[in-house]
Amino acid sequence: MNTSKVNIKDLKLWYGESEALHGIDIEFSEKRVTALIGPSGCGKSTLLRCLNRMNDRIPGCRIEGQILLDGDDIYAPEVDVVQLRTHVGMVFQKPNPFPKSIYENVAYAPRIHGLAGSGSDMDELVETALRRASIWKEVKDKLHTPGTALSGGQQQRLCIARTIAVQPNVILMDEPCSALDPIATAKIEELIDELKREFTIIMVTHSMQQAARISDQTAFFYMGDLIEFGETGTIFTQPEKQQTEDYITGRFG
Amino acid sequence: MNNSTQPNNFISDEKKLRQKRRERADSRFHWYGLTALGLALAFLVFFFVDIIGQAVPAFYQTEVKVNIHYVEAAKTNYNKAVDHKLRRVVSRAWLRTLPVYLKRHPELIGNNIKQWVPADSRVDQYIKQHNGHGLKSKYQRIVDAMAEEGRIRQVFNIRFFTSGDSKLPENAGIFSAAVGSIFTLLITMLIAVPIGVMTAIYLEEFSEDNHFTRIIEVNINNLAAIPSILYGLLGLAIFINFAGVPRSSALAGGLTLALMTLPIIIIATRAALQSVPSSIREAAFGLGASRWQTTWHHVLPLAMPGILTGSIIGLAQAMGETAPLLIVGMVAYVPDAPDNILEAATVLPAQIYTWAGESLRAYEERTAAAILVLLTVLLSLNGLAVYLRKHFERRW
Ligand SMILES: Nc1ncnc2c1ncn2[C@@H]1O[C@H](COP(=O)(O)OP(=O)(O)OP(=O)(O)O)[C@@H](O)[C@H]1O
Ligand SMILES: [Mg+2]
Repeated sequence: MNTSKVNIKDLKLWYGESEALHGIDIEFSEKRVTALIGPSGCGKSTLLRCLNRMNDRIPGCRIEGQILLDGDDIYAPEVDVVQLRTHVGMVFQKPNPFPKSIYENVAYAPRIHGLAGSGSDMDELVETALRRASIWKEVKDKLHTPGTALSGGQQQRLCIARTIAVQPNVILMDEPCSALDPIATAKIEELIDELKREFTIIMVTHSMQQAARISDQTAFFYMGDLIEFGETGTIFTQPEKQQTEDYITGRFG
Repeated sequence: MNNSTQPNNFISDEKKLRQKRRERADSRFHWYGLTALGLALAFLVFFFVDIIGQAVPAFYQTEVKVNIHYVEAAKTNYNKAVDHKLRRVVSRAWLRTLPVYLKRHPELIGNNIKQWVPADSRVDQYIKQHNGHGLKSKYQRIVDAMAEEGRIRQVFNIRFFTSGDSKLPENAGIFSAAVGSIFTLLITMLIAVPIGVMTAIYLEEFSEDNHFTRIIEVNINNLAAIPSILYGLLGLAIFINFAGVPRSSALAGGLTLALMTLPIIIIATRAALQSVPSSIREAAFGLGASRWQTTWHHVLPLAMPGILTGSIIGLAQAMGETAPLLIVGMVAYVPDAPDNILEAATVLPAQIYTWAGESLRAYEERTAAAILVLLTVLLSLNGLAVYLRKHFERRW
C-alpha cells in the first residue's frame, strides 16, 4: 500500500469567530496526486494553507487538531516555520514570479537556505530545477531576463521550478491552472504527472476533468467538512454519497 | 404585441430633449474645467514672470572706474583711499577690505591706480533706474558724469553667491544661508528618512493589527496635519531647552524639521509598501523566507521608487519651511557661513524673509533672486524624485 505522508487528525480552524473547518480527518499518500474539490468557500484553500502554515500570517486565525508530516506535528511549538516551508512548497493560483531575473527567481530559495553557493553549484541547481519543471528549453537563452516577461503558463512553470529548487517533499497547488489557457494547462498537467514520481502533490482544482485526469485520489469538501475521500476512479464512477455525485455531475455547486 | 404605435426608442422627442440637456451639461463642465485650468496657468505664469523680472537685476552689479590712492593712511582709515566726493559712490563693503589688503601688499603703497571697483548699492539702484534708489541728487550728477565718460559698467554679481548676509546690500549674498540650508537638510535627512522608513516598515510588515498600532497610525496621520509652527515649539522644548542643543544651530533646525518631516515620510513609505502586491509576499513566505528577508529582498526594492519620491518631497517641504525655524532662532542675521552644525546658521527661506523686511531698495531684487534660487532647488529636487521613480521602475 501507499505510505502516508501527511496525516491530518480532527483539524478545526477558525477565522476569528467563524469556524471554517469542522474537524477534518484525512491522509495524503506519498508520491501521489491528491485533488481537493468542492464548491467555492468550502475550505479547500484554507486546508491547503494549513499544511505549510501560511495561515499563521492571518490575524485571528486559530486551529485545533493535528497535522503530521512524516509523523511529526508541524504545529508543535519547536517547529521552525521557515524549515517547514522548505519541506512543503506552495504554488499559487495566480503565477507570482518575483520581478527579478528567471535565474534569480529559481536561485532565491536555495540561496537563503544555504543549499548552494553562488558559483557553478548554483547554476547547476537552477538548470536542474528548470529542467524538472520542463521550462528549461524555453528559457535557457534568457536566464537573465525578467521572469515577469514570460507568458502566464511559463510563469507558472517558473514558479513550480522555484518551488522544487529546494527539494521539498510535498508540493501544494492552489488552482494552479485557473489563470491559464488550455494549452498551458495541458503542459502543467503533464508536468504534475511527471513530478509525482518524486513529490507528494496536493492540489485544489475546480475542474472535474482535471481532477479525473491527473489525480490518484480525490477529496470532496462541502461547507468545511470532508464529505468523501477515495481513489479518483472510485469517486468519479461510484461515489458513496449523493452529495458527491450531485457535485461531480454538475447538479449543484 | 403591436409595436407600430410605440414611438421609436431612440428618437422620441423627450429622449432628444434629454440628450440635448446632457450634452449641454457636458460642454458646460468642459468649459468650467478649461477656465479653471487657464486661471491656474495664468497665476503661475504671472508669478514666474514677476519673480524672474525682479530677480534678474540682482545678478548684475554696477562697477565704477575710480582712482584708488594706495596711501599709508588708508591702512587705518579706508576713506582716505578715494576722493572725498566719491565716498558715497564706491561700495563701502569693498573699501572696508582695503586695510587688510594693503597690509598684505605693502609694495602698493604710494601708487595711484585707476581701477574698476563695486559701486555703492544706491548708485547700483540708480543705474538700474529703480524707483526709490535713495541716491542724493548731488551724487546723481556725479554718477551721470561718470556714465558719460564710460566709467560705469555692469558685471555679473558673483558676490550674491559667494558671500553671506550683509547690512550693505552690494555685499549681501545667499552663501551662508545656502550652507545653513544644506547642513539643516542633511541632518533632517539623516534623522527623518531612516527612522521614518523603519517605522513604516514595522507598522506595515511586522506589527500585528491591534489597538495599540491603530492608535499610533491615527496619531501619525494627525501629526502630518499639524501647523508647522507647533513643531518649532516642540523642537524648542525638546532639543534646545531639554537636550541643550545650541539655539540657532543647524542641528536644532535640522532636528526640528526632522520631527515635521517624519510623518510625511512614514505615510509615503506605508503607501509605497501597501502598493506592493501581496502575492509577492506570499511567494517569498511560501519559499520559507523570513519576514525580514521577504521585506528586505522583495518588498522594499519594489517600494523603493515610492519611498524615494515621498522622502524627497518631504525634504523639499522641509527645505521651504520657515515658521518652525523662527522659533528655534534660525531666522537671524548670519553674515558668515557656519563651519559646523553647532554654529549659528540660517536657511534660504529665512534669508528671504529677512531681506523682504529690509528697507533698502537693493534688497528687493535680492529677495526675488533668493526666491528664484530656492524655487530652482525645489524644482530640481522634485525633478530628481520623478527621475528616480522612472529610473527604478525601468529595472523591470
Ligand atoms: N483570511 C480570511 N479571513 C476570514 N475568513 C476567511 C479567510 N479566508 C477564507 N475565509 C473563509 O473561510 C471559508 C473557506 O474559504 P476558502 O478560501 O478556504 O474556500 P475555497 O474552498 O478555497 O474557495 P474557492 O474555491 O472559492 O477558492 C470561506 O467561508 C471564507 O469566507
Ligand atoms: Mg480557494
